[in-house]
Formats: sequence, structure tokens, C-alpha cells
Amino acid sequence: MRAFLVKINLIIMTHYPVPYSALATEAALVKAELMLAVENVLDSGRYILGPEVAAFEREFAEYCQTKFSVGISNGTSALHLVLRGLGLKDGDEVITVPNSFVASAAAIALAGGKPVFVDICHCGNMDPNQLEDAITERTRAIIPVHLTGRPAEMKSIMEIAGRRSLFVLEDAAQAVGASLDGKRVGSWGDAACFSMHPLKNLHAFGDGGMVSTQNPDIVARLQKSRNHGLANREQCDFWSFNSRLDEMQAAMLRVQLRHLDAWTEARRNLALRYNDLLRPYVEVPDEGPGERCVFQTYVVKSDRRDELKQYLNERGVEALIHYATPIHLQPAAKELGYSVADFPRTMQHVGKILSLPLYPTLTHTQQDHVVELVSSFYQTN
Amino acid sequence: MQVKYSYLDQQFAEVDAYFKDLHELVASGEFTLGPFVEAFEKKFASYLGVKHAIGTNTGTGALILSLKAVGVQPGSEVITVANTFIATVGAIVAAGARPVFVDCDERYQIDVTKIEAAISPKTAAILPVHWAGCPPEMDKILEIANRNGIPVVEDACPAVGAKINGRFAGTFGKVNAFSMHPLKPLNVWGDGGIVVTNDDKAADFLRLYRNHGLLDRDHVEIWGVNDRLQPFQAVVGSRVLDTVETLVEARIRNARLLDVGLKGLESCIRPPRRPQGYREVYQLYLLTASRRDELVKFLVSRGVEAKVHYPIPIHLQNAARDLGYARGDFPVCERQANEVLTLPAHQHITPDQINFMISIIREFYR
Repeated sequence: MRAFLVKINLIIMTHYPVPYSALATEAALVKAELMLAVENVLDSGRYILGPEVAAFEREFAEYCQTKFSVGISNGTSALHLVLRGLGLKDGDEVITVPNSFVASAAAIALAGGKPVFVDICHCGNMDPNQLEDAITERTRAIIPVHLTGRPAEMKSIMEIAGRRSLFVLEDAAQAVGASLDGKRVGSWGDAACFSMHPLKNLHAFGDGGMVSTQNPDIVARLQKSRNHGLANREQCDFWSFNSRLDEMQAAMLRVQLRHLDAWTEARRNLALRYNDLLRPYVEVPDEGPGERCVFQTYVVKSDRRDELKQYLNERGVEALIHYATPIHLQPAAKELGYSVADFPRTMQHVGKILSLPLYPTLTHTQQDHVVELVSSFYQTN
Repeated sequence: MQVKYSYLDQQFAEVDAYFKDLHELVASGEFTLGPFVEAFEKKFASYLGVKHAIGTNTGTGALILSLKAVGVQPGSEVITVANTFIATVGAIVAAGARPVFVDCDERYQIDVTKIEAAISPKTAAILPVHWAGCPPEMDKILEIANRNGIPVVEDACPAVGAKINGRFAGTFGKVNAFSMHPLKPLNVWGDGGIVVTNDDKAADFLRLYRNHGLLDRDHVEIWGVNDRLQPFQAVVGSRVLDTVETLVEARIRNARLLDVGLKGLESCIRPPRRPQGYREVYQLYLLTASRRDELVKFLVSRGVEAKVHYPIPIHLQNAARDLGYARGDFPVCERQANEVLTLPAHQHITPDQINFMISIIREFYR
């Protein structure tokens, strides 16, 4: 069944004049550099936690304006390992939002905690005004998500967390390079997790993840917990996992990081261009005061979302929904006991959101085609 | 003369073919599961002659997923050995269960005469390890497991290509795990793992759980993890798999040369018993030696990268403190921790290097 779906997917993808992503096109731009990076690793004979991972960790920390970063196998494991480090006991609560990718909540459950959701505000991220009500005696941590590459309202969230002595773990999976008042995401909380999944702005050619932090204790713990709890080759200090960032991926990520600023700039220019052109038809993702968004996803809101999506898809524009079912309504969340009525803002949001194709190699011609279709949808319907 | 432990620079000296494959991967943009991973999974399943192979991010991940797939859960107990890599036991704890150790035999494998006494009503799986690439007595393990209605999960992480009477390691248990770590017989350029099974239901669970519990893009059936095999590594693994039988044969040849070359020194140093019908792949070439630490030092000083796998049995690790074991609980395993050493016997070791190692060992014991 899966194989079948993948095949169907491939057939559809190849027929979209404006596909949702263009990974192959992007990779082609840096292929020579990538292959050189791979060759360097081969020549070194170091395939596990070698010099490339260490160098990428230094460069990434600098990029995030933090002292440290630790390479992890993927974004989900990054969240999982940081949460494990908190030593959650059964019933300990961690607060996050229900409109994220499932991993934000799954990591809490995996680490032995109970996911508690708080609704979002108009910007699509955690509503700080409702955060305080969700805090109980069992709350141990807060995971604000910088969804779509827009920074969450970190000033208010950090103020509340500071007052209540709660650990803040930024889920910056989609937001590398975003900032609020000039301060990068990843440098606000006690720690932050990043994903280098292929659809992320800074991506590996497979899975990859990072944790950034200012806290050397968190670093020391993660360096063991990502590698079986081993303090050295012979001594195991605690039971843990193999969640290492691949040396090969780190080598390729260093290539990508050198291009990230240019690619982010290209994304931002295209996104702001979309905003200008689409504003007459749909609600566009304007940046709030002090925000610098990186538009990992470009999400508009429409009251006639499903019709619009179908209209675009039928005419060769691959538009998607991130995410169609909020986490609290997934079968996996059944035992948490939430219902449809719990998060009105999230539900309202979920019915309207539509992600349009946006990537550094998207051409103005392709973009104009998308805009024309949106315009003709509203004029003819 | 130098005898290096790692051989990766030699194994991957010629990379043109790999790069051709990688170019294809990069040109496809298929970096998350997809056709390259599926092709490798099919190829590995057909190599072993099993119905399903499911690629995971690591061997550790493969073990965790295998245990979960046979129903291991919080409160369960899982029986294994204390002389293995830490991940075997880490995986049991990660699945929420309690590790229960039994001692090993003189082949460094689980002592099948001790398993039954370790079984309790909470035992949810028996996890024998093909330690060092050598199969344990799988027929006896299966017999005990079947009699007690307990599933077997093989930790075949170090043992791609190992066999008992022609039957591959990883085809005895219900759900079984392999590693493709760079120092395993089937290796990739980083981490990688595979779970194999003939059970359709287990395979469905494994495919769901390794990818966030996602039924499709929008539906999350269970809380899952991200434990996917990287397409990059699948491409490499696929090509290495073509060579695996040849390189295993080379390892077997080297092990025989060492076994024979050390004859006459049995009172000081000896290989384990190697019963008929067992095809070992020598992920580690293990020996039992007297004055082990001195010998290792001597070998290293003469350019031979000898190692110890491992000097501290797992039940005596800091991590195992809460399990309540003490020194003396597993006398064979504890004795071996002081006596065992590993010599380089991989596929790139030459007969000259083997003779060199033998002469150094003879010199040491003279």
C-alpha cells in the first residue's frame, strides 16, 4: 500500500508545473561541493561523530548566536533527548501547541511526559495569554513552536516561564535563522531543537537534527545520551539511545550552511512578493513587529480553502495543508481526552490554512502563475 | 609492520560506483524513505530469504523497534546476556522493559542451559545476541522459547551473513535486528539498521512506528519515532551488499589462518570452540588469553591494533546500578571480561599481517 502511494505521489509530482518542493533542483546547484564533502569524509575514514560533526556544531552554534550546539540524528530525537534530560516522571506535564507537526507532542510522550496543549494566537503560534492557565503543579517545561519559520512570542513566554521556574525548549525545527528583535530563535530558551529534514531551510540529504543551548550541562548530557549513555568507549553512565548526527550529513550540512543566508534571503523576497500580490484575495502572512520570518512554509488563509486547494491542484500548483488534523484530535492522542471544542483558534486556523509552493529556486514566472490562478479562482467563483 | 583495526579507507578506496549511485539519489530529491530505501529493503529481504526488511536509522533503533513489535512494554522483562555492546541492553530499557541477564558459555554466547531459570511471568522476549558475529545455539533457544510461549528477537546486529547449517542469522526469531554501523560486515557510511520479519502485522507496526506513527501524511495512528533508514545509506548499503559474501569469506579465511597459526599455545591463548555447521562472520575475532592486558599492550607497542570487547560487563556498568546485580552473578562473563581480546582479522588483513601477529604473540609467551 505504501509503495503504491509513493508511486502515485511520484506520478502526480512530475506533472505539477509548480511542485511543492524542488529538492533536486536545489541540490544540483551545490552538487560538486556536496560530493567533495562526501569524499573528504571517505578519505578521513571517520564515519561516526568525527571532525565534520564537531565543526558543524561550532558553526551552527555561531549561526544561532549560542555558545553550544549538539548534533542529533533528527529533530524528533533532539526534542526527545532534551526532554529525557529533564527526568520527567509519569504525569509530569509539558506544554506545547496542537497545530504543530506531531513530533512536538510525540517527543513529550516518548520522554515519559504528558503533552498538554495550549491554543494559538492569531499569528499561528502559542498564545502567551493562555499559557499561564495551562500551567499546573505538574508542569515541567514549555515547548513553544516557531511554526512555519515565524518566531513565537518569546518575550512573553520567557517572562512567564521565568516567573514560574519552567524549562523552555524552543521547537525551532522549521525556523533556523528566524529572529525576534534581532535575537535568533534557538537563543531564547534553555535549549532549542532544530530539524534538518529535507524540507527544512537548512537541510540534510536525509535526516538530521541539532540542539542549541547556552548551558554546558545540557551539552555534556546530550553528548552521552545521543551515544548510548557512554562516557567513553568502556563506561556506560545511563541507558540511552543511538541518536547521533551522521558524519556524512554533517559534512553536507556544512556546505548547505554556507549558502543558507542567500537561500533565506531568496525565500524572504519571494514570500514578501507573494504577500503583495496575494493580499487582495487571501489573508497573507505579514511579519509582526520585530519578527524576521524565514518562511519554511508559506501559509495563507482562505475561507474557501478546500475549493481553492482543489482549484490550484487541478491546475498544476501543488498546494498542501500543514497540518490538516491538529495533534489533539489524532488517534494517537485519544488517551489525552481532548475534544474538538478545546482549541477554537486552532480549529478556525486549521480550516483556513493553505501552504503554497515556496523555495529559493521558485521562479517569478512560477510564482506569477500561482498568483494568477488564485486571482482567477476568486474572480470566476 | 602496522596491523590496523579499521579498514574503511581500504574498503572504500574505489568510490566511483558509489558516487554514480549517489548522483542518482541527489538528482531524484528522494531524501526521506522512498524508492531508494525500498529497493534496498527488498534486496536485503531477498538476500536473507525473509518476507519483510524495514530500514531503520541505527542498529539500536532496529533493536528497540523489534522488541516493541513483539509486544515488549513497560513492566516486561527481556532476557539477554551481559557480554554484548551496551545498545542491546539500552534497547530493552528504551522499550520500557527490565533487562534480565544470563551468563554466557565458552563460545562467548548465551548459555542455553541458564535461560529457563531466568524466565518469569513477566518475560516478554528472549534476546540472544550473535555476539562477535557468531550464532548462539538458536535451535535450543527456540525450543525453550516455544515451550514457554515467549517470542525470540535476535540481536543479529554484528552478524549479517552468519549461518547455522545454511540458515541465516536473523531468520530464527519472530522479529530480528541488524546493524550497518561502519565496523559491521554489511556496513554503510554512518549509521544504519534493518529489522527483518516474516510477520505481516509486525511489519505494518514497524513501518508505522519508525515514521512518527503516520498512516499517511495527515493521520497519526500511534505516537511514533523518527527512526528511518537514510536513503543515502541505503544506496551505499545496497552496493556493499553485493560484496558481502566475498568479504565474509575473506574474514573466515583470515580467522582460520589465525586459529591454525596459534595452535600449540592453548595453555596461554585460544580461540573458542567452533562447532560444525556454524558459519561465523568474525565481526570481532575473539580470543581468550592469559595476561591479557600485558599482551594487548605488547601487541599495540608493536603496531598491532588489538582491542578489548569489552572490559566491563554490562551488569557492572554505572547505568545498571538500579538492576540490583553484583560482581559474581555471572562468573563466566566476568572471567571473560578479564581474558578476552580482539585481533584485527577483517577482509583486508593479509597473510603476512597474520603471520606477523602470530609471531608477536609467540614472542610474548616465550
